[in-house]
This record gives sequence, C-alpha cells and structure tokens, in this order.
Amino acid sequence: MTFVLNLSFSDLLLLLPEIFLTCWLCVVITVDFVSPQLPKDRLAYLSVGGLLATLGCLAWFDVNQVSGTLFGDMFVLDRMAIFFKIFILGATILVILASIEYVDRFTLFRGEYYVLVVMSALGMMFMASANDLLSVFVSLEFSTLGFYILVSYLRDDLASNEAGLKFFILGVFAAGLFAYGISLVYGETGKLVFSDMTSTQATPGLIIGFLLIFAALGFKIGAVPFHSWIPDTYHGAPTPVTAFLSIAPKGAALAILLRIFLVALGTFKPTWIYLLVVVSIVSMTYGNIVAIAQRNIKRLLAYSGIAQIGNVLIGLAAGTKMGNDAILFYLLAYLFANIGAFAVVIAVSQAIGRDEIEDYRGLGRRSPFLAFSMLLFLLSLAGVPPLAGFIGKLYIFIAAIKEGLYTLITVGLINIVISMYYYLIVVKQMYINEPIDPSPISISGPMKAVIYVGLAGTLVIGIYPQPFTDWVVAATLKFANFVAPAATVTPPSLLIGS
Amino acid sequence: MGEYALLYILFAPFAGALALIFVSNRQPMLVRGIAASAAFVSLVASLYIFYGYDPVQGGFQFVQKFAWSRELGIALYLGVDGIGTPLVLASSILLFAGIFVSWHIKDRTKEFYIWLLILAAATIGVFMSLDLFFLYFFYEMSVIPMYLLLGMWGSHTKKYLEMTDPEGLKQRDSVGFIFNFGSNSKEYAAMKLVLFLSAFAVAALMGILLIYKFSGLNTFDILVLREQAQLMNIPVLGTTLDKIIWVLVFFGFASIAPLWPLHSWSPVGHAAAPAATSMLHAGVLMKLGHFSIIRVAFEILPETTRELMPIAAVLCMFSIIYGGFVAFYAKDTKYVIGYSSSSHMGYVFLGMAALNYISLSGAVIYMFAHAMATGMLFAMAGWVYDQTHTRDIPSLGGLSNKMPFVSGCFIVGCMASIGMPGTVNFVAEIMIVVGSWNKYPLQVIVAMLGIVLTLAYLFKMMRGLFYGPMNQKYSHAHDAVATVDRLPLLMMIAISIGFGIFPMHLYEVVRSGVDPLIARITHVVPVADNSEGLKRVQDDATVTEHPALPMVSHQPITQVSEASRGGQE
Repeated sequence: MTFVLNLSFSDLLLLLPEIFLTCWLCVVITVDFVSPQLPKDRLAYLSVGGLLATLGCLAWFDVNQVSGTLFGDMFVLDRMAIFFKIFILGATILVILASIEYVDRFTLFRGEYYVLVVMSALGMMFMASANDLLSVFVSLEFSTLGFYILVSYLRDDLASNEAGLKFFILGVFAAGLFAYGISLVYGETGKLVFSDMTSTQATPGLIIGFLLIFAALGFKIGAVPFHSWIPDTYHGAPTPVTAFLSIAPKGAALAILLRIFLVALGTFKPTWIYLLVVVSIVSMTYGNIVAIAQRNIKRLLAYSGIAQIGNVLIGLAAGTKMGNDAILFYLLAYLFANIGAFAVVIAVSQAIGRDEIEDYRGLGRRSPFLAFSMLLFLLSLAGVPPLAGFIGKLYIFIAAIKEGLYTLITVGLINIVISMYYYLIVVKQMYINEPIDPSPISISGPMKAVIYVGLAGTLVIGIYPQPFTDWVVAATLKFANFVAPAATVTPPSLLIGS
Repeated sequence: MGEYALLYILFAPFAGALALIFVSNRQPMLVRGIAASAAFVSLVASLYIFYGYDPVQGGFQFVQKFAWSRELGIALYLGVDGIGTPLVLASSILLFAGIFVSWHIKDRTKEFYIWLLILAAATIGVFMSLDLFFLYFFYEMSVIPMYLLLGMWGSHTKKYLEMTDPEGLKQRDSVGFIFNFGSNSKEYAAMKLVLFLSAFAVAALMGILLIYKFSGLNTFDILVLREQAQLMNIPVLGTTLDKIIWVLVFFGFASIAPLWPLHSWSPVGHAAAPAATSMLHAGVLMKLGHFSIIRVAFEILPETTRELMPIAAVLCMFSIIYGGFVAFYAKDTKYVIGYSSSSHMGYVFLGMAALNYISLSGAVIYMFAHAMATGMLFAMAGWVYDQTHTRDIPSLGGLSNKMPFVSGCFIVGCMASIGMPGTVNFVAEIMIVVGSWNKYPLQVIVAMLGIVLTLAYLFKMMRGLFYGPMNQKYSHAHDAVATVDRLPLLMMIAISIGFGIFPMHLYEVVRSGVDPLIARITHVVPVADNSEGLKRVQDDATVTEHPALPMVSHQPITQVSEASRGGQE
C-alpha cells in the first residue's frame, strides 16, 4: 500500500468540517485561558456556534453530494459518513446545551469540559469516516480519550471516579482486543481497507480477528456480553456525559460496524448472521429484563439502551440496504428520545438532587411539562405510536422480515411488551403517585430548548417520517453497491416455511 | 366538505387535545367547552357520513388517501364501509356523551379531556383505516391513554381500600408493588390492561408483518392485499401459513374483544376506570377487536376464516356463560357491567362465527347497540359512584328515592342491555339468533340462556342499588338534574330506542358492508346479485332475503324477529 500525500485543495475540502472544528476547539481553549473571568455558559454557546457552523457545512455537503476518499482510502466521505457526522454533531449540541446548568457542579476545569466534549465529537466524526482498520483504531481511541476524562469529571464523587476507572480499564482492554484483531486480520489478508477485503477467504485467523474487532466495537455500543461497564459507568458519570455516552459513541461505532459487516464481510453473511442473531436476542432480552429491577433512572436508561442496541442489531442482521436504512432511521428516533429523556433527568436532578425513580413521584403535578415530555420520550423508547420509536422499530422489523428473520422479530416484539412495563413504572411514579413535596420545578432556558428539540423530533419523525426515510435512503445509496448479492441469502434454518 | 368528513371526525378530537394543551386548568369551563366542541364536530360529521353513506352503492366511501411512507408502502388510507360507519358513529356518540358524563371531574380536568379525546380519536382511526399499518397504529395508540386514564382518575376496589391504610403510602408505591399484592388497585388494573393488550397486539402485528412479507406486494393496503395477496397453501411448520397468520390475527385482536380465555384484563380495567373511560372502553374499545378481525382476517383470508371460525363459535359459549355467572355473583357495580359486557361480546362472536348474512349483520348492529346500552349503564354506575363513593352493591340500596331520574334511566339501560323489543339491541340479538340457528343451534340455546342470566344479574343489581332500604350514609346523594348531566343519558336512550323502532337505515348500511364480505367467504351469493337485492330493499322498504339462504323467509324483519323470539322463549 502506498500513501499518496499530495493533498489538493479539493481534497482538503473533504476534511473541511474536521479542520474547522479543530481550529474552533483551539479558539475555545484560548478564550478560556485568556479570560478566565468569562462566564462559562459563554464558552458553551461559543462551542455550540462552532458545532452549528460545522453542521451547516456538512448539510451543504449533503445537499451538493460532496464525496470522495483521502489518504489512500483511509478516510472516506460518503453520504452515510455525512449522516453520522450530522448525527454526532446534533447529539453534541444538545448535550452541551443540556449541561450548561450542570457544569456548575464541577469544582474545577469547567471551561475544559466543553473542550473535551467537542474533542470527543471530533474523534467520533473521524470514526464515521474511517474506512480502514487503522484509522478506525486511531479515531476510536481519540474519541474515547475524551470520554475517560469526562466520565470521572465529578472529582469528589466516588461513584464518578469508580465509573471512570471501570470505563477506563475495560476500555483499554477492548482497545487491546481491537489492536490484536487488526494484527490478525492484517496478517491473514495483508489488507486494511474495508472495501479491499471483499474477496478474502475465511480462515481461522481472519475469523478470530474479526471476532475480536466485533468484541471491541460491541463494547462501544454496549451489546451483551460486552455490556458490563455500562450500568455503573452510566450511573456514576455526570448525567450530561451519560447522555452523550448513550448516543454519540453508539452512532459512531455503528457506522464502523455497518462498514465492516456490509462492506468488508458482505460475502460472509451466512456465517456472521448467527453471531448477530444471538447477540441481538441476548441484548434485547437481558437489557429489558434487568431494567425491570432498576430503581435508579440512569441505570434504567442504561439497561434500556442495551436493549435498544439489541433492536438495532436486528437491522444489522438483516444485512440489506433496507436494514441499513432502518438502523439509521432508528438511531435518529433514538437520538431525540434518549437525549430528551436524559435532559429531563438532568432537570429533575438539578431540582431534587437525586435521580432515583422514587424521586419522580408526582412529577406530573410538580412540572406538567417535564412529566409530559418524559412520558413521550419513554413511550418513544418503548415503541408506541405515534412516536418516532414506533416507526423506527417497525422499519427494522420490516427490513428483517423481508430477510426471513422470524425468530429475531418474535423476540423483538415480545421485548416491546417487556420494556413497556418498566417505562410505565416511571410513568406511574410521575402521574399516578402524589408528590411528597409539591413545590414546582423550574427549568432553565437551554434545558427547555433541548427538551423542545427532543419533543419536536420525537413527534415529527413519528407523525410524518417521509423526509427522514428519504434522507436515510439517500444516505446509503452509494453504500448499497457494496452489499454483495450473496449477502441476501439467508441460512435455511432461520427460515420457517422454506 | 362532504368528502373530507372522515378527516373531520378523526382530527377534530386530536385538534381539541392540541388546543387543550395551551389552556390553563384554572378555566375549567373553557376546557370543557373546547373538549365538547371538538367532540361535537366529530359527532356532526359522523352523523353526516352515517346518513350520507349510500348503501346501494356500497363499498368504501368517503375515501381519503395520502402517501405516508414510500419505502415501507404505507399510506394514510381512510374510508368507511357499512361495517365501519355505525361504529364510527357509536364512537363519536360515546365520546360526546363521555365528555358530559365527566363534567364534574375536578382533578386535572384538562389532562383528563386530552387523554379522553386522544383515546376516542385513536379508536375512530381504527374504524376507518384501510391500511394495515394504520389500523395497528391507531389500535396501539388507543392503549396508552387507557393507562393514564385508569391510573390517574380511576378508583380502587373496596377490597383494596380495606387492605391498605390511607397512610400506607410506602407499601403501596414500592416498585415491586404490582407483583406483591394489591391486585385490586387501579394501578394493577391499568398495568394489566396495557401489558395484556400490548402482548396480544404484537401477536397481531406479527400476523400483519407476515401478510406483508408473504404477499410480496410491498404494501399494507387492505384493498390491494385482499384482491392480490396469495397466502394460501404455503406449508409452514407442519401446517399452512394462512392458518398461522389467521390464528395470530384472530387471537391478537380477540384479546381486546375480549374472547373468553383472554378476558381477564377487561372487568378489572372497567372497574378501575372513571365513568367516561369505561363507557368508551366497553362501548367502542372492545369492538376494535371484532372490527379488526373482520377487517384483517375476514377480508384478507376469507377461505381460512371459513375453515377456522368454528373456534370462535366454541369459545363464545364460554364467554357468554362465564361472563354471565360471574356478573351474577359480583358485588361491585362496575364488575357486574364489565362482566356483562364481556358476556355480551360473546354474542358478537357467535354472529361472526356463523358466517351468514343475517348473523354477521346482527353482530355489527349488536356492536352499535351494545355501545349505547353499556354506555348508559356505565354512565349511571359512574353517577352512583360519584354520589356515594362506593361501588359495593350490598352497602347501597334505596337510591331511587334520592335519584328518581337516574333510576328510571337505569331501568331503560337494563332493558336495552337485555334486548327488550323497542331497543336496537333487540333487533341485533334476534338477527344473531336467527342467523346462527341453522349452523350453531347449541350456541343459540346458550345465548338464550345468557339472556336469562343478563336479566337476572341486571335486575339483581338494580334492586341492590335503587330499591330496598336505604343506607342513611348516602342520604346526601342527589339526582342528575342539570342539563349537562341528563343530556348524555337521554341522548343514548333516544338513540337506542330510535334505532330500535326505525332500524332500516342502520340495517341497510350494515348489510351493504356485510354482503360482499360474506359472499367472498361463503361463496353463497355472488357480489353482483347483491346490489340488485339491495335496490329492491330500497324500493319496497322491506327486507328480502337472498334465495340462497334457506332459513329466513321473505318477511319484513320485524315480523321474523317477533315470531322467532316468541318461539325461543
């Protein structure tokens, strides 16, 4: 492999969002250094401004269908990458707005918080574009670095420290697995770029290598059996960081998983489908059943996130363009519902100081707006019409039933019912139980904005999904060429009726 | 405006709910006014489609179609046929009545009306969906408002209140509470209702997805699927695919109906719900089950329906008898009415199972009739509960002194529920009985027994509530005197009796929907003969039967009914 490093201006254009964001990051840091007296929320708005500009640039790319590859195919900018970048930036903006109030809890380094969040976002933007195992590894570690610090940002809080340590040790372990996997794959195939691997033969070394890579990415998205860090880390981390952690890295890691499974391993679908079916079933069932026993809302959302990832993997197991579309659509629905739900959690914990489910009793009286929003977000996560989550789940089921994955769909449908139970337990606390302390809860402006965005997304996607389905279908259009025809063959044992 | 009537019916309650969000709870009259006007728009438009529906032309009318998602083949496709039209009308009547029945709700009035309107709109949406996706969409959407309505404004049973001291908050509200005890609480009822209905709804969804997959048409459009879907004779797991789909769809939707072994959520839910919710729940929500079975299983899988519908004929006997006996021994007013509803829904299943023009028309009319009758009973049980704060029949009595108007209406409600001649229930019951006699004589005998049982438990309850010695504790109870309190009762009574005396338009509308359906299922009468037959009906205003149906003579419907009723009793 030879790297051609003569970058032209048009090549640099592809990198423009990342370059711009990097420069902006430096600006934010400098402003923080130069005027330490500046209120920290100004820094937040400054970061949001930069992120919005980047978002605008990416939207312009998307409209004008800018695409191309850089650095010998290491970096690819196609419409799917643009989709994931917009997704990540959207999540980052919402998280920064939701953390403005919360940042006052940090004793030190309040300005750097925003820098770290944006830095992680930058790393994940590279992940969305990574088209080769090395760039995946580098960008993955780059983005995770920020998270290691962010998770333990509450310096004096033992739970936060524990969360950071757990996340760090397991994360480093996953990184080791990933590196080992890369070395095995490279040893077997001599290739690193995904699109070059399509014609490789399955050898034991290659299979083990990809299993290790899957394990590392499974750690990122929190699929069972790689989920063990999730509950404690989500619980201990500062809530805005938990919100960020529950959305953005999952999106970025799914971008990589889609590229690996559908491009690099497209021809091996009859083999890997078993892996995905098993992981998906176990994730959904484990996540939902354990969530029933939770008493802390953050842990509940952590387990519900594990179950949601199981749902997403149904789409991946379908292994078709439609499955791919469905995953993107589902992520959009999940973004608004999950960020919204965490925003409500932050707002409530600002007022009450705790986030046990018991503390939500009577929220419907104390703050009808928060309770109603939380209700819609939870129902969207559960998959109740007319909310976004329902269309997302149905999209995934339709994609999967076209491939004949009946077992998976049956388990998925049963899990909808199980999940409804624990979401409704929260609803019961909010609406049916009377509050002990009926004082109303006040919400800050930025927080309201985040919740409104979440509500708008959840309702609009649910009631009028056409523009969004159009978008995801267009996003994977070029990508569909890589989905090998052989990939649509399903092993007969999974089909009933053939 | 005529062609948009369905949109008005469907979206007026949604618009009302949306408008209510921006109104403060401090203006209760404004809140009620908005809710009532939204329901009124819906009611007027429903009356318009009911009387504007042309039974001679038949088929789906007032059709509206908007593309919704190209990738998934979904369109917001609305239209009503002769089966949907009376049910849409029943829903809007009960919504309108329900808003007045809940006029005195003080706690979070605005939220109550928002959820009530959403519940009714979702129900109406099912009755007019011609797209499987939207049928499921509205079906599932109607479940969640029930949870909040039951949980927030519902009431516990007497047993539950005895089990918990008022200060026992800690024990009541622990997360594990639902599993531990308190199966008599409203929270339990609400959760059970949602989980039960969702669990069976996803079974139906699986059936719908299988139809989507194996039809290969990439559409959820019921009209396209019923013409073009080739679902027969695909071997699966030792049986055929169409049977699996049918069973999933049938039992998925029969849970809300509720058919006998799947009924247990229903009386608990009825009992816990506030009056207006019980009315909508028993009046129209349960009919979603029958309607969806007709719309999905009957339309798309006619052959399988003919083959498997005897299942319903067997189970409906248990529904009728079991529900009747439990209602007889129940001591809680709402349990009695709840179990009576689930018993009466057995009649609808009997009418559906016989697969005959008269019996299925009877079943559809029965759905309409039962909506009115049970609506009245629940409204009055709600009134009694509001006045006395108890639903325990043994502790009540002699209330007719205090509330002569309500007790008078209650008699009418009981009569309607029993199927007294002069009420629309009589027309429906007699059609079911006559239509099913040839095919299922045993079931018809059971059904007659069920009528006797109905008589017994309703009279027993009436005596327990309104006659006999009065408990002085309830001497403060007063009658429904205000117009808003009397209006819903009088409206439902007028409709029940009005259609009982003049059932022809209702009958013709229903027949125009039932005829092509039964012709497809039984192949007895070709569809072409049908419209002609209906024309004749229009001309001489008497009911003539198709020659292929042996057991109904060429007599006007009222004579048939009275003759056979005399014979049966």
